[in-house]
Amino acid sequence: MTTILQIRDLSVGLTGRSSIIQVLSNVDLEVDAGEILGVVGESGCGKSTLVVAILNLLELPQIFQTGEVIFISSDGKPRNLLKLTGDTLRQFRWRQMAYIPQGSMNALNPVLRVRKQMIETLTQHGMADREADEQIRLALQMVHLNQNVLDLYSHELSGGMRQRVIIATAISMHPAILIADEPTTALDVVTQRLILQELARICRELGITIILVSHDMGVMAQTADRLAVMYAGRIVEIGTTNEVFKSSLHPYTQELIASIPNQSGEHVEGLAGEAPGPWNYPPGCRFHPRCPFVMEICRQQVPPSVEQRPSHWVSCHLFGKEESSNE
Amino acid sequence: MSDFLVVQNITQVFGTRKPTFAVDDVSFRIPERASIVNLVGESGSGKSTIARIILGLSKPKSGDVYYKGTSIFTRNAEWQRQFRCEVQAVFQDPYSAYNPFYKIERILNISIRKFKLVNNPSEAKARIEESLRAVDLRPDEILGKYPHQLSGGQRQRVMLARVHLIRPRLIIADEPVSMVDAGMRATVLNILMEFQAQYNISSLFITHDLSTARYLGGEIIILYQGRIVERGETIQVTSKPLHPYAQLLISSIPIPDPDKRWRETLQFAPEVKSSQSQNRERCLYAERCPHVMEVCWKERPPLQTSPGKESSWHVACHLYSGNLKGSSLES
Repeated sequence: MTTILQIRDLSVGLTGRSSIIQVLSNVDLEVDAGEILGVVGESGCGKSTLVVAILNLLELPQIFQTGEVIFISSDGKPRNLLKLTGDTLRQFRWRQMAYIPQGSMNALNPVLRVRKQMIETLTQHGMADREADEQIRLALQMVHLNQNVLDLYSHELSGGMRQRVIIATAISMHPAILIADEPTTALDVVTQRLILQELARICRELGITIILVSHDMGVMAQTADRLAVMYAGRIVEIGTTNEVFKSSLHPYTQELIASIPNQSGEHVEGLAGEAPGPWNYPPGCRFHPRCPFVMEICRQQVPPSVEQRPSHWVSCHLFGKEESSNE
Repeated sequence: MSDFLVVQNITQVFGTRKPTFAVDDVSFRIPERASIVNLVGESGSGKSTIARIILGLSKPKSGDVYYKGTSIFTRNAEWQRQFRCEVQAVFQDPYSAYNPFYKIERILNISIRKFKLVNNPSEAKARIEESLRAVDLRPDEILGKYPHQLSGGQRQRVMLARVHLIRPRLIIADEPVSMVDAGMRATVLNILMEFQAQYNISSLFITHDLSTARYLGGEIIILYQGRIVERGETIQVTSKPLHPYAQLLISSIPIPDPDKRWRETLQFAPEVKSSQSQNRERCLYAERCPHVMEVCWKERPPLQTSPGKESSWHVACHLYSGNLKGSSLES
């Protein structure tokens, strides 16, 4: 497996009047070429901030604090995306890395036909009109949409069709990476299943790497190859979807999975307490106030990320080189 | 007419030149004794329109809703006041339901004043604090704050505190947990179910999330394009749905288990010829149905009991009407 994206020690802050509040802290993450990587966590945990930072789309009051995002193109040349500016950045986005922001299906311009909006995206990123027209037709075929949607307005399309228009636009320049932020959140389960199925197929057929952001563990279990679990601005666990679901290591991941209302309808307990916001991140491990296994060290030191099992990383003091003496 | 809430043949149509049937001849009833009825369907299936009608927020084109034997569209002011007190709504997004300029205690005080729940201010304060504690909130953390200062889970629980305060007989909950985080979702549902049992409250629970419905139990009504396609006990219907749409819906729930991934590939719905879409005297699911027969295009399937099932289990599908062998579909 070749790595396509390396995120190293990425931190993002919010500038306030007198101080900077850190919202994303020291994120390390590697994305393999051709995989579907799921980023999961509660709202406010920094999922969206992470992908916006990867795309170098941060705007004030969000600012970079530390770290780099290295993109390794197919010729093996690494580039730090955070150093790209102006035209180079513009050429890079969409050609190499496309983005489906949260709720973008509702962001289609209501007074422009679909064709105009799709073509504009491509020409803005340097494609000629004629070629753009051809590419969007191919892209629509990929998502099983009839060509006649090009002449429609967004209100004439159903939610699922609008989302497919957005996906078609995103893949029309054959990017290496597609970042989809909650692409199915507002859709009903049948449409959601169709869209996820479509994304997975596109990923395999076109060899596009997908970073899928969602808060829905069901969606993740069905779609993702690997999962990164986030809590309060940090990644707490990374592993294959199977490992994370079947033998999760971090207490937060375990509670998150246990709190899902399940098939059999048996009683489940919700997670006690609330996730802290960036303005009151606790010191040490940020999960310690809610953790059933809290130890003294958790209140003081940030747990390092350790590879507890092959390719299964966890940031928790219960795991580490020395034998843990918990419970 | 001793029934608690009866929804009788309601139809709601929007638009005149090209009418859209949001709700098409829907009838059901909600019993009084702490019962749960889940109303499930995709967006646009008419769930929220039905909720609005039951709350008296819009009047159906035809049909009526009876609460304790009286039509809810009666003009008797005293009856309306009582109805408003006994039937309460819990909305999807509590943030847009609160006045952003009012502090939480004022929001709760309005309910107390409006429904004359207590006699003096100190008693009101005690009641508010009691209700906040009942939903696992700390009064000193919540009172004095504005809605935007609370988290989504806290806001939704303040909404539940209102339920605790007013103690209605019936709750109409429109997607109450769809904006709440996964971890908090179970907490909110557990509180709702606890109130239900403790204060004998019935609820109509509107959701597109079938796992939530399954968690709550009770009865389920599955809507498709404004019509009821299947209804019955939640556990039974969700484990062995009869209607082909219900089967598709239930098999499409993303199960949070990587071992239980979807195996078959789903096809996108084919386009309908306009001549077909005009005709509503047919099964509206015909164009998507894998088991479609000729009769499905010609006759509207009646909602009837299914052979060999409990009398409460109804399905509107030609596969099960008459002596057709519908049992082949059940597995």
